[in-house]
Amino acid sequence: MKNPFEAFHQAGVRKREIPLDKILKSKEETLSTILKGYEDLLKNEAKDLVWLMQYSTVIKAYSIAEKGIEGIEYTAEDIEEFCYALDHSDQIPYLITGPAGVYISALCNHAKEEEIYLHLRDLTVKINLLGYRLPTDKKLIVEGNVGDFTGIGLDGGEFIIEGSGKNYTGAGMKRGRIIVRHNLGFNTGHGMTGGELIVGGRIKGLGKIVGGKIYERDQLIFPHEGIKPFSF
Amino acid sequence: MEIEEIIKKVWPRVKKKHLFPHLPLPTMIEGGDDCALEIKSKQLSISNAFYEKLKDKMDGEEIVEAVLDHGITHYMYCPWDFHTHLTLYNEAKKVVRQKEQAQRATTYFMDVVTDTYCVKEKNTKIAQLYKNLPKHGMYEVLTSLYEKIWGENLGSGGHEELVNRLSRIPYLERKRWRESIKKFTKVIQDILEKEWENEQQSSQREPNPLGEHSLKNYSLEEIDRGLREFATAVEDLQEFRETVDDLREELEEKGYGTGGMGRGKANPIDANLLYYMKLAESYTLPIRKLPIEKRGYLHPHAHMPWEIGKPFADIDIWTSFGKIIPGITQIWTKREGETHGEFEGTPDCLIVIDSSGSMINPRERLSYAVLGAACACNAYLKLESKAAVYNFSDALRGNKIVLDFNHEKEQIYQAICRYFGGGTAMDLADITYLLSRANNPDIFIITDMQITNLERLIEFFNKIENRVTAVHLGSNVHTTRFKDGTEKKKNISIFNVKNKEDIPKIVLGKVKEYLASPAKWR
Repeated sequence: MKNPFEAFHQAGVRKREIPLDKILKSKEETLSTILKGYEDLLKNEAKDLVWLMQYSTVIKAYSIAEKGIEGIEYTAEDIEEFCYALDHSDQIPYLITGPAGVYISALCNHAKEEEIYLHLRDLTVKINLLGYRLPTDKKLIVEGNVGDFTGIGLDGGEFIIEGSGKNYTGAGMKRGRIIVRHNLGFNTGHGMTGGELIVGGRIKGLGKIVGGKIYERDQLIFPHEGIKPFSF
Repeated sequence: MEIEEIIKKVWPRVKKKHLFPHLPLPTMIEGGDDCALEIKSKQLSISNAFYEKLKDKMDGEEIVEAVLDHGITHYMYCPWDFHTHLTLYNEAKKVVRQKEQAQRATTYFMDVVTDTYCVKEKNTKIAQLYKNLPKHGMYEVLTSLYEKIWGENLGSGGHEELVNRLSRIPYLERKRWRESIKKFTKVIQDILEKEWENEQQSSQREPNPLGEHSLKNYSLEEIDRGLREFATAVEDLQEFRETVDDLREELEEKGYGTGGMGRGKANPIDANLLYYMKLAESYTLPIRKLPIEKRGYLHPHAHMPWEIGKPFADIDIWTSFGKIIPGITQIWTKREGETHGEFEGTPDCLIVIDSSGSMINPRERLSYAVLGAACACNAYLKLESKAAVYNFSDALRGNKIVLDFNHEKEQIYQAICRYFGGGTAMDLADITYLLSRANNPDIFIITDMQITNLERLIEFFNKIENRVTAVHLGSNVHTTRFKDGTEKKKNISIFNVKNKEDIPKIVLGKVKEYLASPAKWR
């Protein structure tokens, strides 16, 4: 008996592997390795799903994050994918913005690229601590709004925020430059010892600043006649 | 002509390669030399000028085969149907917020998906075709992308950052297309804006070398089905309205009106009405039949314009000029004759809808009242029964619509979708009048029951023997009072609608104790 579907058999099928398959596969693998590193950080740092923002905690978390990402080959795009993976994850305690920010900062600081552009406009949460310890010769550009403690301990890098930030931006910053297109919250530049913070919009309030320069809408507001440097 | 011969020669091979798509033999058009393909309602047409321009660089058969591979894959894979096309457009629009740019992004995305699918899954010469096509603007970026994701040298290069980002999108994962087109559009947003600015200055649009994707690609039936699926899939009315408003001109040009297909240009599209129409089509409410005497064989009664979806058997060829074209072709509407026996049938229905201030404005958000009423209307009209509408808020002050029994779906929908706001009072004289206009019609009432003269309504319902389907939205003291007040009446059935999923649970004309005796209902 003749097979009525004979004409369909193997008709025009080629199914070859194309470079896109490899790109996507390697992207998935990298992302899962990055996520694993993040999970390890969470296990160590936020066991009770509570993460207290203290400078010693941040330093400890950062060193765990650095270990977690050791040996991972990734690009700026992978960092961005990771941010969205955190945002879209349905595991409720997954995105704790403190450790997430420290981990992303470690990824940025150890990335191969000198310039990293993160398109985070569509993130539903604002990540804290982005740009932590950004070193010299690194430029980080974030499109979208960011959370608290952005750019703290900045260490010579250039951090551009195409949006607004919240409180304690640039706190403890040593050198380098933070440029914010829109607004910042309270305690801006708290404990800052050097570098420049340039804000295109409004600053709700300054912290206790030791050194460096802060500009608000092209006007130098620190150091200024009315605001003297603070000594701890 | 040379190209026609090649099409005839290549077509069986291409058809087999794509597993025999249900498409007619492609034709040749003179066309321009910058656009290879035109697709109109499944008819693929290859431009002769394009072929002539390219034939010195590439084998003639390979040109035709590659162009056909591209065209057929749009039909067989992406977008596949109008609903997918609309969904992709809608997602792109969320990023760029501008119609033309969203259309462009959708076109580019569908082309990348289609061509990548062909290159991976089929034996195709598309890569060679791209190698020989002019590369400028977005096509230069796309060719560079193809070089990277197909692993072919297409003579492009450059745009490294863009290509890196674009090459990370899973184009062949259908389930992720919504998310993928958003990413894709975000990456190319700057180019789209530049293209748009250039077009504004030069008023000349750079054509897509492998054909444009517009409503012309789809038949009216596909558009109708696509809109129905899209209405069910979108998150809210605003999203549907925005998309339909964007496509209004093209839809009207195609002859698609609010009332459905084939109504022609004279019937402008009301996106809100269309939304409820298409959404209501996804629900089927059952109607309990009623033993009635006046039921018999159908006979041709009057003419109405034919719409796609209506039976061909009812077309009156003598008044249709021998043509089957929506808007021109006439169809017989049939009526029942008299008979004397106990047949089961469906009476007409009076739809009573509350559009007072406590109800949702159907033009702002999805109104379950309007959707429920629309479903009821569809159910009765489908069974050739008529529907009347009493839409009220403060009826005693004139805030009401009284629409007599008829078969005109669009007119009924317009009456249902009207929103008054304000207080809630019924004029029972209107109800009595409408009930007198038909033979024992059913009543479908949908309200939150916060009616000023609710006691009079309960009293009224207790006096009549018509089947009443009362749907209340949410629960409150008034709904409890209505339930208690009509508890003893077996011809009144009450349903509560809390969300969209409750609507299909409504059974129209349900009676608490169904008796086969026609006398009870007369």
